[in-house]
Amino acid sequence: MMETLELASVVLQDSSGGISGPAAAALAVGLGALGTGYAQRGIGSAAIGAVAEDDDMFVPGLIFTALPETLIIIAFVTIFLV
Amino acid sequence: MSANTERSPNYEYVTARVRAQKARLFDEDDYRKLVRMDPGEIARFMEETEYETEMNALGTRHSGVDLVEYALNRNLAKRFDDLLTWAEGSLYGYIANYLRKFDAWNVKTVIRGVYTDADASDVDDDLIRTGEFSDRLLDRLVEAGRMEEVVETLSNTIFGDPLEAAMPDFESEDVLVPLENAVDRAFYAHLMDDIGTPEPDSPRALYREFLEAEIDFRNLRNALRIARSGADIDPGEYHIEGGGLFRAEELRQLAANVDQLVERIRESSYGEELSAALDELAEADALMGFEHALDAALLEYSAKLSNRYPMSVCPVLSYVLAKEREVENVRAVARGREAGLDVEEIEEELVIT
Repeated sequence: MMETLELASVVLQDSSGGISGPAAAALAVGLGALGTGYAQRGIGSAAIGAVAEDDDMFVPGLIFTALPETLIIIAFVTIFLV
Repeated sequence: MSANTERSPNYEYVTARVRAQKARLFDEDDYRKLVRMDPGEIARFMEETEYETEMNALGTRHSGVDLVEYALNRNLAKRFDDLLTWAEGSLYGYIANYLRKFDAWNVKTVIRGVYTDADASDVDDDLIRTGEFSDRLLDRLVEAGRMEEVVETLSNTIFGDPLEAAMPDFESEDVLVPLENAVDRAFYAHLMDDIGTPEPDSPRALYREFLEAEIDFRNLRNALRIARSGADIDPGEYHIEGGGLFRAEELRQLAANVDQLVERIRESSYGEELSAALDELAEADALMGFEHALDAALLEYSAKLSNRYPMSVCPVLSYVLAKEREVENVRAVARGREAGLDVEEIEEELVIT
């Protein structure tokens, strides 16, 4: 019991333990980028298919493909918060 | 066939293209215009649509209704081959399996040609050269002059054994139902083999659901045809396994009594989709109208499935069905106009959803 308490106080006091703020932000941006890529994989291939059939679909296709970019942009904000 | 099955399926790409193509098929307005044109005008109309390439390529050698028909068949084969080039992974497998349907179609065309002593070149024109059979095999089939030759040529394919088994029936009754059914049965039996019992709501399960609907509809059609023709054939023997609606014994009882059959379908899960078709059957008492209503119901059912589950094989199958329907419709219009039928008579032949 004593040991756990000691451990807890050490962890709580030592704010520099684990990963640092910038590292966490970098991780967040990286994961956000992965999510964006995964979403764009499906949308992009569907968009290419639609454009191949009909040139007018180029603009809507582009818009829908770009939509998941919001994910990475919001993740990017975390950099300025740390 | 397994060359493309290693990768993961690309539903997004194929569905997007297929949906765009389906949207470009002729709609009700186009048909309304078409039935009022004479064959020359139909040909000109088609030159301005999807069929432009085929019409131009064949225009120097054929003319009139023949030109329309060849262009239709060629375009159909091209589109379906396209599907196979786009698809990857398991999706490729599903589509390739389903397109074997055209092997069945070709075999039936040949059988009918032999039965009616049609010209080899006429039969050849009606073949649709997509699917699993090679061009050489098809050529040999066309050349065959007797039913036995056809069956023998097919002995190495999935249709060989069933056809051979159906030959005695054909010889004694001299109707084509046993042979055509053997072909259908061989086709569906192979389709269902590969699927097994998949987990619900997966693309595989939907594929199965769709095929079951198609088999049910075909059983239904066969039962009614046998009941109507009055031939002394046991409908249970021509039952295609794999559907969800009937078992062989049930079909045997129901085919004798059309009212009971209709009642049974109304209560089944297809009741809603088929209610229009059933009303038609009860009212007009004509098999033709009912069969067209069945086709329309299957088209609608496939469209419904493809909207409910966009990331599956359903949109592709729905497109295949709709495209086939369009080709048949345009052909009916062109042939009808050539024969001098009324607008109303032709419109009855069309299946428009």
